[in-house]
Amino acid sequence: MPPPDSSPSGGRSSGRWVRRDSGPVVRPYAVTGGRTEPADGEVLDVIAVVVAMPGGDAEDDDPQRRTPEHRRILALCQRQATVADIAAGTGLPLGVVRVLLSDLILSGAVAVIRQRSAGLRPGNDVLQEILNGLRAL
Amino acid sequence: MAFAPSDPHSDATLTAHKILIAGGFGAGKTTLVSAISEVRPLLTEEPLSTASVGRDNLVGLPNKTTTTVALDFGRITISESLVLYLFGVPGQERFWFMWDELAYGALGAVVLADVRRLDDCFPSVNYFETRELPFIVAVNCFDDAPRYDLAEIRLALDLDQDVPLVLCDARQQASVKNTLIRLVESIAAGSPATLAAQGRRLTIGR
Repeated sequence: MPPPDSSPSGGRSSGRWVRRDSGPVVRPYAVTGGRTEPADGEVLDVIAVVVAMPGGDAEDDDPQRRTPEHRRILALCQRQATVADIAAGTGLPLGVVRVLLSDLILSGAVAVIRQRSAGLRPGNDVLQEILNGLRAL
Repeated sequence: MAFAPSDPHSDATLTAHKILIAGGFGAGKTTLVSAISEVRPLLTEEPLSTASVGRDNLVGLPNKTTTTVALDFGRITISESLVLYLFGVPGQERFWFMWDELAYGALGAVVLADVRRLDDCFPSVNYFETRELPFIVAVNCFDDAPRYDLAEIRLALDLDQDVPLVLCDARQQASVKNTLIRLVESIAAGSPATLAAQGRRLTIGR
């Protein structure tokens, strides 16, 4: 289906659309069908860990449900990955990745392994492990 | 369906932690992150490509012609199941909406300071003090910047005695490594309540 007429109406209403602070927001969300919020309303933390679920309709090729961006994200989820990893790996903006990931989570193709829990300071064993790792660099 | 031998679900669950790298425009955040990790730009959905001409203060920074248009994002693999992420948070006021999200659940922060523009890091220091997020201040030793005593800098920053203040060369991996170690040591020595104080729900939008 061809996209609806998208003539640049912004040109007419001068100041209202040409503000640089509001301009380029729209384009990245073209790949989400214009949606800016995750379908399940859950905002994934930037370092939430996700992974593809084996058998979780990963083969779904219906372009209505599974866009090329969905598939690129799914490919990166074959190993455990953070939301930031996926955004950097696909070159898609964080907010876009969150929306597309929520689609995959809702369809069961991807599971959230670890969402950041509020305000939990890691234990000293974890901090020690980080220190050891840093010292070994 | 058949499972590949490297079934991701048999791996130990990945744990990720994040450290923020803050500081004023041109303080060396990008340099620091790239000195210690493979750095990749992380785009946000916001219009960060806005030209900074006329907005960012370029005094004393003749070589700085662009501002950070995406988050600097570095990944340090500690072990197979533990990864440390560095996020360079843009210091300019117009990016502040991103701070709460990135600070949420962060281990702590490094505030990079440039002695020629010390006041540039005041907002970062204030932010982390207010949120009770553990942080240290690292004075980036630019070649052409005057040298000051750490005590003088601490005084100029009005920094609490319990906030570590270190010198660092953001270009040198060893120096950056020591800075991060100092931060994590101070977190380990700190009160367990510090992170709980900033546990806030993420909200969509601004």
